Amino acid sequence: MTEFKKLCALVSRNMKCYFKDKFLFFVSLITPMILLVLFITFLRGVYLDIFKQIFAAFGFQLAEQRVLEGLAGSWLLSSILAVSAVTVAICSNAVMVNDKIENSLNDFLIAPVKRTTLSISYFIANFTVTLIVELAVLSVGFIYLAVVGWYLSFTDVLLILLDILCCVLFGALVAGVVESFVSTQGALSAISTLVSGMYGFICGAYMPLSQFADGMRNVICCLPGTYSVGILRNHFMSGYVNKLTELGLPAAGTEALKDGFDCNLTFGGAFNKVVYEGGTQIPVWAMFIILLGACAVLLAAYISIVVLSNRKK
Amino acid sequence: MIIEINNLTKSFKEVKAVDNLSFAVREGELFAFLGENGAGKSTTINIISTVLKRDGGTVKVCGEDIDGNAALIKQKIGIVFQNSVLDKRLSAIDNLKSRAAAYGIFGQNFKKKLEELTELLDLGEIINRPLIKLSGGQKRRIDIARALVNDPELLILDEPTTGLDPKTRRTVWNVIEKYRRERELTVLLTTHYMEEAAVADYVVIIDGGRKVAEGTPHDLKNNYAADFIRFYSRLNEAEDLFAHLGYAVKRERDFLEVEVKGTSQITKYICSYPQLFEDFEVLKGNMDNVFLNITGKDIREA
Repeated sequence: MTEFKKLCALVSRNMKCYFKDKFLFFVSLITPMILLVLFITFLRGVYLDIFKQIFAAFGFQLAEQRVLEGLAGSWLLSSILAVSAVTVAICSNAVMVNDKIENSLNDFLIAPVKRTTLSISYFIANFTVTLIVELAVLSVGFIYLAVVGWYLSFTDVLLILLDILCCVLFGALVAGVVESFVSTQGALSAISTLVSGMYGFICGAYMPLSQFADGMRNVICCLPGTYSVGILRNHFMSGYVNKLTELGLPAAGTEALKDGFDCNLTFGGAFNKVVYEGGTQIPVWAMFIILLGACAVLLAAYISIVVLSNRKK
Repeated sequence: MIIEINNLTKSFKEVKAVDNLSFAVREGELFAFLGENGAGKSTTINIISTVLKRDGGTVKVCGEDIDGNAALIKQKIGIVFQNSVLDKRLSAIDNLKSRAAAYGIFGQNFKKKLEELTELLDLGEIINRPLIKLSGGQKRRIDIARALVNDPELLILDEPTTGLDPKTRRTVWNVIEKYRRERELTVLLTTHYMEEAAVADYVVIIDGGRKVAEGTPHDLKNNYAADFIRFYSRLNEAEDLFAHLGYAVKRERDFLEVEVKGTSQITKYICSYPQLFEDFEVLKGNMDNVFLNITGKDIREA
């Protein structure tokens, strides 16, 4: 019981350290917001045109502009939320790294608190902070969708919240494992820059996987982050896809939309103009299992690192 | 004995940080642990506080072997680190709250402890302010409060006054002395200020990870530092005599300084040449001289 109370106090302290560092908090929060604005400003038009081309290929004329706008918005929002679950976690886990840099960690290690408790406290604080930022971005995103065209059901919203929980869990574990090896400010900056720059591409968030070469797509399909994007894509876009079906988009057109914009993730096969030919399509439940499996592996790695650092001291 | 260290060794790759070190600290004493930077003081302190593992030797703290119940040892020690390790953006009260929680002190118990420390260290005005907005001396008081939050039996002060102005140094020491007297606290001190080491009950000096001297400040000064006679009159006569007797003599603008080994020698010369001793003073060798003579290094430059 005492150890649990210690854990709660440490989580509270870690979160206070994060929120009191106004710059760190501001950067974590503002980065996804800026991405959202940039996406809407520069990419919205591109995606609207691509959607229209797909519809035209299947002889479908969309009169409802709000569905089109909402579809583009939901695709962009799913990208941002999937990427920021990792980038925000990397950024907000700076509390753990700063404790090492500024020797605050030693101040806790001289106290009768288990190293495991300390490590768990960093993880829980990071998970909570990242979740708060994600929910803030989601709220802004929902407001945007409500303005341009809202076609999400209550179930979609609940599933999106579940997706975000999984994505944040994945992001917090990635940050915990990667930053266990970081003990300088320079390394922290380097990792933050590297992850911010690369992650969106290697998880298929910035560009649909269908646009990659088949070999590259298969490589990206082997990375668990891809499935965090996949689940978000499915639940953000399903309401819009259903509406399009209702409005008369043929089934082949719906499949083309899903294939082209990563609701259908396919391993192997080839993307032929608008749809995948061959290969194995990965269902949404499998995406969840892969993502949670990756979380389990990362958790095991995190625990191993804590145990090993205990022995090494 | 509150600390018993025997044949302690610790290496970092090929660097031997602590080399066969043995010493003991009695309960209730102010123990000075001296050495230049890199001599092995912090490594020893980290081993005592169970943060670092040793390569060899035995260490007992507060009657417990450090291989045994480390949590019990941690419960009984407090450390003031050389540089503040508290959270700069958090208030003093938030810092103390999180550190107290690490010792299992919550709720009413924490409140009671906080009131006690606030009174002892005069924290009233600064307790709600973020550390980043406090002066060096104020921060140090919070560091001390943090080290005392668990009512330690052993307080380790790792260069607690480095970088502080003389007035703040005095304030810090007054607080520590007051607490020591009231609680019969044992203090292990590392410092670069030899006047702080001079008031210790016992001193150990290490160099290159090895113990090179130990004893009370009085014994060390007697054994390793010379005394000085300063003549302020009859300088020429005194210079002739002591130079003739083979002593090291230093002539300054308005005094003559003669280095003499041992106070008994001085008594002998006062009795033999009373006419020379009209205006003079006897200066005992200080801990700076002791350190310099033992290690060959000036600790303030070390």
